[in-house]
Amino acid sequence: MLWVDKYRPKTLDKIIVHEDIASNLKKLVSEQDCPHLLFYGPTGSGKKTLIMAVLKQMFGVAVEKVKMENKTWKIDAGTRTIELEVTTLSSTFHVEMNPSDAGFQDRYIVQEIIKEMAKSRPIITKGKKGFKVLVLNEVDKLSKEAQHSLRRTMEKYSASCRLILCCNSSSRVTEAVRSRCLNVRVNAPTEEQIITALEFIGKKEGLQLPSGFAARIAAQSNRNLRRAILTFETCRVQQYPFTNNQVVPLMDWEQYVSEIASDIMKEQSPKRLFQVRGKIYELLINCIPPEIVLKKLLSELLKKLDSELKHEVCHWAAYYEHRMRLGQKAIFHIEAFVAKFMSIYKGFLIATFG
Amino acid sequence: MGKRRVTIVLSSDENDNDDERDGMHHSSSKLGSGSRSKSRSSNRSKKNKTSKDTTVSIEESGMGSLKSGELFSMQINFDMLSEDFSSCLHGYNRVPGFGWSDGKELWVDKYEPCSLPELAVHKKKVEEVKIWLEERMQTSKEVYRNQTLVITGPAGVGKSATVLVIASHLGVELCEWKTPTPTLWKEHLHSANLGIRYMSKLDEFETFIEHIRKYPVLPSASMGRSRKPIIILIDDLPVTNGRVACERLSKCLNALVRTTQVPTVILMTEYSKYDRGDSTSNSGDEILTSLEKAGAHRVAFNPLTVNSIKKTLSRICKDEKCDLNSYWIDHIAKASGGDIRHAITSLQYFCLRPELIPSSPVSSMTTTQLTGKSDKLNTFSNLSLDEDEFAANGLLPSFGRDETLTLFHALGKFLHNKRETANASGVQDPFILKERFARLPLKMDDPEKILSQAHGQARPITDFLYENVLDFISDEAIEDAWVVASYLSDVDYLLSVMHPTRSWMNSGQHDLGNIIQSVAASVAARGVLYGNSQPSPSRWHSIRSPKLWQAEQSLRYNKNELIAGRYKVHNSQSLCGVIEMATEYQPTLKCLGFRAAKAVEAQRESIQGCRAEENDSDRMSSDDASEEDEIEDC
Repeated sequence: MLWVDKYRPKTLDKIIVHEDIASNLKKLVSEQDCPHLLFYGPTGSGKKTLIMAVLKQMFGVAVEKVKMENKTWKIDAGTRTIELEVTTLSSTFHVEMNPSDAGFQDRYIVQEIIKEMAKSRPIITKGKKGFKVLVLNEVDKLSKEAQHSLRRTMEKYSASCRLILCCNSSSRVTEAVRSRCLNVRVNAPTEEQIITALEFIGKKEGLQLPSGFAARIAAQSNRNLRRAILTFETCRVQQYPFTNNQVVPLMDWEQYVSEIASDIMKEQSPKRLFQVRGKIYELLINCIPPEIVLKKLLSELLKKLDSELKHEVCHWAAYYEHRMRLGQKAIFHIEAFVAKFMSIYKGFLIATFG
Repeated sequence: MGKRRVTIVLSSDENDNDDERDGMHHSSSKLGSGSRSKSRSSNRSKKNKTSKDTTVSIEESGMGSLKSGELFSMQINFDMLSEDFSSCLHGYNRVPGFGWSDGKELWVDKYEPCSLPELAVHKKKVEEVKIWLEERMQTSKEVYRNQTLVITGPAGVGKSATVLVIASHLGVELCEWKTPTPTLWKEHLHSANLGIRYMSKLDEFETFIEHIRKYPVLPSASMGRSRKPIIILIDDLPVTNGRVACERLSKCLNALVRTTQVPTVILMTEYSKYDRGDSTSNSGDEILTSLEKAGAHRVAFNPLTVNSIKKTLSRICKDEKCDLNSYWIDHIAKASGGDIRHAITSLQYFCLRPELIPSSPVSSMTTTQLTGKSDKLNTFSNLSLDEDEFAANGLLPSFGRDETLTLFHALGKFLHNKRETANASGVQDPFILKERFARLPLKMDDPEKILSQAHGQARPITDFLYENVLDFISDEAIEDAWVVASYLSDVDYLLSVMHPTRSWMNSGQHDLGNIIQSVAASVAARGVLYGNSQPSPSRWHSIRSPKLWQAEQSLRYNKNELIAGRYKVHNSQSLCGVIEMATEYQPTLKCLGFRAAKAVEAQRESIQGCRAEENDSDRMSSDDASEEDEIEDC
């Protein structure tokens, strides 16, 4: 088991990064009534950990007995029948799923499947809650229709069902859904908090962790706790005992992006652009989201860039990032950005060095 | 086509009602050249007997006995191809019932090429066919396993003419299959009364092929008179409808290709996709591939270039003593779309009505001015300038073949980005543009027109342009690359409005969808044309099929793999998103050297899966490559 999973705090009491939120949630849950919850915050900040801990607080150890189900749902959508395969993780008291996996058919999931689940309500016994909990991940990736359906479902089945929503950005969740939930913002942990967490794990594993090294891992993790722990584990495999100036490995795709960036800096021509396109395809094929590719690429380019160009380059990156979200095929927009960058940079080089 | 001197006549024993039939055909023969083969053939056989031609007839007694008293006679008439063209023509014209002897004959027939230099077909292609035939003629038959040549190409590019001319040049005899006339319903009833069973054209074709295969010594039928080598020519494959018929045809052709002892030339007309019905849409291609598999050599003819058509047309004009302005010849040649038969017919039609020719074409403008104008990129200037064009068009008899382009041809036009070398029109644009925005006029029709001719869908057009455009941008011009990329990014945005996830696109807004489609296609084409301000010097490029499609496919596959594998890899208590999997867990797991045995398995599975997928897609792309087409410079 990976350390991330091994040392994930199981109860609200044990949470060390967002203690304040944890204690608030504990109070909330123990008062018997629990509203719908919406957790939002950057990736690797501990939303999922909090959710699992809350569930445990509510239902006890029974929620840890989960089973995975891959079920095909047949949905009658007027003229045709749609078959959707949905993976769920469920215990007696809760069901967890990623509705956005269904792509643009997500609203059927929300409409039908969630409805179906919400209908079956658990038997009320003493000391147990009279409702089921649905955990929906990546709500911000749901389409607008799906979010509207979600709103209706929330109202209709609120007696028997509580929703816990989880997403990165609340701005892409409709107002209607947000206003029906208790919004919990989970901040990215600070570097100090990350260092504390790493030291905690180091102690448990019986490792000597030089503080400088922990700080470097934390700095490179971009305030992503999961990332930091994963990197930490990788370092442990690569070299132990740790030294202060040990290399902190990058993720392989990040190395690839920085290669692309140096390719771009070396030559600015349509031919090179074509090569870059091939490399970006490579990244996208391996499921690296285009937004992350563009963001990483920009930061890699900015590192090597003269400061007077930075503003313009950022402007174009933002422009094409927006385009990318509106459009369908991300590669078109990423390439447009790369081409623009090449064009700006070449102009700059000519102006500077003649 | 009229005086193809070689015919194989399949006629049932209907001589008693021949007169009646002939009468019918005579009356209809004025209508055109379509329905004359049957009556002509009977006339021809008489004629052939009078002239010194060889007539071979094979009595098919076996068939007759098989089919309940049906007497099936097969007459194969051979003519000497080397025979003087004109004498044949005269003999032909003497035949009553064909009132073209008074000089009103179809020019297409009259000016059928009879020597190699007269052929309008590209020299290389002619040479290829010629060499192939020569090799087959010279060496002994055992040397070549494949005795079959397949010539493909659109209608009217001179496939048959090439073979005929080469055959006459080499002095070989042609044994030709020509599709028999279709049976009319009345005829069928009539012959059914006489106890003759209907025989489909495909059946007849099969029997013919059987013959060729069984009796490869057909040349001996010419009684050792000349001992000329023989070539079998199959023009016009029978039309097949439905899978079964198509399979039968391809089976029988395959057998022919495998076993034939005599050089065989099969001509196949390529139809553009949209000319054909859906059911038969790819039967031609299937047959072609199966033939190639069986070992046939393939030569593809491209549409003729405007210049070679023009040359032929001017030659005809000179011979006919029609004083036709070069402008009109140019126009006819352009409108014909590489179809020389059509061009010649148009020319004849045009010359028949000399009153239509204005004394001086369109207010004494020269040709270059006209073309320069009609190809103007700027729509606004088009509005005013087109009036002249309209005036000209109003006078024109319409001799344009409704031209369709293949997708690749259209892409080639956009990518090659041919422009006038200087603004020859001399007309000032209504807008004065800064120099960096101004572009020379295009040497082609409006991009929208080309798109509609190619039946271009916005999405595939965009994908293809995106994939290929960088090859055509000169190496220095990264700025251009950006302009093009930004236009394509715009197109993607426009098209995404159509996507099903966009909530406001209701079913009632089809019009809007159509407009968006065409606007997007137009932006893509024009963006590529405009953006590429200094096209790199034209050279041969093959058009790749978009890698994007392949990438999307493997992305989908990998994503499913990830989703399926996310529980196996780490048995956590909760679900984990694809993004986290891809960006964080996967790389770490890789670094950790696949610690957990489960993880190893899952990884290996997924990797193998990926490989298999890649191989698949590789194979696909190599298939695609066969679809690739040369881009014509025009």
